[in-house]
Amino acid sequence: MAQPDGANRMTDQITFPDVVSWAVPVFIAAILIEVLWIALKGKGGRYETRDAVTSLIMGAGNVASGLLLGFIAYGFFMVLWALTPLDLGTSWWVIAVCFVLDDLRYYWVHRFGHRIRWVWASHVNHHSSQHYNLTTALRQTWTGTFTFMMIVRSPLILLGFHPAMVLFCGGLNLIYQFWIHTEAIGKMPKWFEAVMNTPSHHRVHHGRNARYLDANFAGVFIVWDKLFGTYVPELEEEKPDYGLVHNLGTFNPVRVAFHEWVGIFKDATQPGITWRDRLNYCVMPPGWSHDGSRDTSEEIKRKYLAHHPDKRGTPGF
Amino acid sequence: MPLHILLPMVVLGIVGITVLLHVMGWSKPAALADEAAAERAWLGEFPDDPPKRVVLSHDHHAALVETQKGHGVVWPMGSDTTARHLTGAKISRTNKGLRIDLPDYTAPRIHLTLDAEEASQWPSLMEQTA
Repeated sequence: MAQPDGANRMTDQITFPDVVSWAVPVFIAAILIEVLWIALKGKGGRYETRDAVTSLIMGAGNVASGLLLGFIAYGFFMVLWALTPLDLGTSWWVIAVCFVLDDLRYYWVHRFGHRIRWVWASHVNHHSSQHYNLTTALRQTWTGTFTFMMIVRSPLILLGFHPAMVLFCGGLNLIYQFWIHTEAIGKMPKWFEAVMNTPSHHRVHHGRNARYLDANFAGVFIVWDKLFGTYVPELEEEKPDYGLVHNLGTFNPVRVAFHEWVGIFKDATQPGITWRDRLNYCVMPPGWSHDGSRDTSEEIKRKYLAHHPDKRGTPGF
Repeated sequence: MPLHILLPMVVLGIVGITVLLHVMGWSKPAALADEAAAERAWLGEFPDDPPKRVVLSHDHHAALVETQKGHGVVWPMGSDTTARHLTGAKISRTNKGLRIDLPDYTAPRIHLTLDAEEASQWPSLMEQTA
């Protein structure tokens, strides 16, 4: 609905809880439960001390960077909010619609995060563990602000969803994704697997297998991947191999956080290449190189199929 | 949540989980069962550059790999492994074996635990491509 002229908007004084910080005790408790489950059952995942510590420090650093740099995105959203004549209010159905649309926003930001190296530089650290457990969920970026992906949220604000509500929905989205980072849960009921993102779907997303590269970008609803053609099911006969195509050789959180930015800088400033090449090192998919000496995910899949032609046409190929 | 509650909770959470995992014995470095395992670990990182020769360390925690492109090493990253070519490497002896410094922001320093014989032999092999 349009805002009344000269009057305060109905949502001007609105506040939403910082759900992510309130979820921290739940995160810690769930990690302890997963650790005990694995120890008692002897299955359901793996933990390694330094890997887990790195993930946890990355999570703490993500919260710290939000406290330090969050004002940039929020300030941008408040400028948009001042510009838009629309205000949808805060009724429960508006929050529900906002949650669904923000999840669509998440899908595209996440897809950009795997297809544009500038955005991948921020997101890569989430994939840098060779483990897949609840601490991996907390291995989050410190540099998200510098990707400028906050602009993808602009349409939501301009449509009249209050910035605080949009961030609240984003927080809920992040909390939902925590529990799917586990090998302790096999598959959920069929109806749930059909609609929602699940541990099984997200294990695929973390796989470095050629089949699983650039698949299952969903946050909460897996239907986006099915709609936009990026859905790949987890196959019984091919367990995901977690990590990066080239795994890191350090647990240092600073190097984990910044390594791809350093890589972009080195590539884009090397002598003897054109300005177009320099730009392409920033915006082309990860693995792109001006001389073709590296492999993008398409090239990795092509090479895999050259050795395994029988796999052509199967999920992920 | 107020910062004066959140901050101690995060610190205690990280410390507590770290101690728990270590006490449970989940800090042991990866061991390569045999040369074939080392080869698989290498191919996991460099599928286009198959090893011609693999030399496993005495404790099975590292492997020296020779490929068409030169030499490389496989070493533990916690309970997993990773691998790198040795192009541009600086190799020095340490009390426990070798230290390799690489011009690679993602793997700047590799510490290999080797016995005296390995520590004297491996550098000459590595330096052929370093």
